[in-house]
Amino acid sequence: MQDHEEPGYRVLWPLARIEVKSANETRGLPDLSGKTVAELWDQIFRGDIAYPQLREHLKQRYPGIRFVEHTQFGNIHGPRQREILEGLPDKLRAAGVDAVICGIGA
Amino acid sequence: MLRAASIAEAAGIPSVSIIGSGFLRQAELITRGLGMPLPIAEYPGVPMVDSRETFSHKVEHNLLPAIIAGLARKDVKPVKQASGEPAPGSVVFEGTLDQVQQHFHDRLWSDGLPVIPPTQQRVDAFLGCTDRDPAEVIAVLPQESRAASILSIAVNGVMAGCRPEYMPLLIAIVEVMAEPDFRIEDAGSTPSIELLVIVSGPIIGDLDLNSGAGVMKIGRQANSSIGRFVRLYLRNICGYRIPPGDGDKGSIGFTFNVALAENESWARDIGWPTFGEEMGFAAGDSVVTMQSVVSFTSPVYSSGADALSHARMFVEGMGPAFTHWCYTGLKRGLWNPLIVLGPSIARVIASEWTKDELRHYLWQHMTLPASKMEYLALQAGGEPLDFREAVREGYLPPEYIASDDPQRQLRIIVRPEDIGIVVAGDPGRNQSRGYMPNHIQGPRTSRRIRLPADWADILRRAKQT
Repeated sequence: MQDHEEPGYRVLWPLARIEVKSANETRGLPDLSGKTVAELWDQIFRGDIAYPQLREHLKQRYPGIRFVEHTQFGNIHGPRQREILEGLPDKLRAAGVDAVICGIGA
Repeated sequence: MLRAASIAEAAGIPSVSIIGSGFLRQAELITRGLGMPLPIAEYPGVPMVDSRETFSHKVEHNLLPAIIAGLARKDVKPVKQASGEPAPGSVVFEGTLDQVQQHFHDRLWSDGLPVIPPTQQRVDAFLGCTDRDPAEVIAVLPQESRAASILSIAVNGVMAGCRPEYMPLLIAIVEVMAEPDFRIEDAGSTPSIELLVIVSGPIIGDLDLNSGAGVMKIGRQANSSIGRFVRLYLRNICGYRIPPGDGDKGSIGFTFNVALAENESWARDIGWPTFGEEMGFAAGDSVVTMQSVVSFTSPVYSSGADALSHARMFVEGMGPAFTHWCYTGLKRGLWNPLIVLGPSIARVIASEWTKDELRHYLWQHMTLPASKMEYLALQAGGEPLDFREAVREGYLPPEYIASDDPQRQLRIIVRPEDIGIVVAGDPGRNQSRGYMPNHIQGPRTSRRIRLPADWADILRRAKQT
């Protein structure tokens, strides 16, 4: 039900420009044999159980695979998050990391 | 967590992220904001309610193959960026009031309540109350990576029902949101953070903010609409929307907080520093302080003509409400509970104690057994609460590991100074209330409000309209 005398409103867009620089996909690793995999963990949602199991399963499938455990990086979602993430590329390179498993969001 | 994966990817190292089913849509939204495809390994269901056997089964049969596929880049969803969005400041619709409401509601641009139509004229009135350039971008805010411009503040301020002269305060709010340590990227987390705005200084009177009875209730234009602005801005610029939106994962949640103002004349009259002064500002500064809130206590009534009687009741009444969540702060070494102290009670306490003495008493007496804290941490998110590690990291002082007795009583607040005290509420009653934050997510952060040179004229004109 509308009043024909009701004024119209010309309204502005309430959002704002998205400012994202799109990045290309990193090349994948079809074979993890002999590769170094880093574990990153936010210290929640049973990662302390999941990561050791994943390690064992991956070792059975991929000879020579090795892991840099999450304890080497600290809590990626904790009080030192900014400092840890800032230093992450250097730390990954220094450890010769080929791939990263990051968890756990739930 | 996806941000960590994006950093690895940017360094040229392939990643895969483990995400629970319920978080896939938020992950997609964050991925768009980060601007890169990020492979996901889905954990089906909720990890915290699966048995150990079921959990291990899913690790082997769901996560393992998804991790291998993700690292091999099989079936990685490309990032779909929003295309064809309007230019900032452009007219996007014309219609009656009802049609505008429906248009905004359909596009998830409102909070479900009617909005004031953001017409050019109304937005210009807001922009006229600041000397900042409408195109100025304070920051690009997660999680949608939208530009937090002065213009966007004005538009959302109009929609929230604010008055134009609130504009300098609204800008200060967004400046706090943009502080990296405020971690606005976590504002969509499951405990459901509602940001609380605390206003200090002369602007309380300038904008007619309520600091008396019903201070935290909807009902006064400034308090209510400023609180609503925060929620609208989180939706429209950050992208925190409950379903059918994607970004806000608050599991149950509660409604937004109205802005809180202190009864500063009362605080001064009893000889206490104001909240704003305690945050490091001069008495003449107008200041916005923000912090996260995930819950508040029951109303705590306390009686007596001595400080101790009231302080004991705070420990009795607020302590239990704080305890179940305290582990989150202890694990991270930061947790800022806030007490809104009834003025009549503040007067009694101030006759004997300083604010610091009150804080010290509460810090000393709000305690919980260590084993209970560890239990609560494991229940909520399977978070191991390792006191030794927290002390080693410098998050907690050594007294937390002074013994190994699981029954040892530990303080639920790390430092006395972490407790905020604001004198507000009904001076004719003896009630106080506590507000519980979410650890390092939205820590108490202040910003002086930058007023334009013609502020007195703006206020004079505002009083005439």
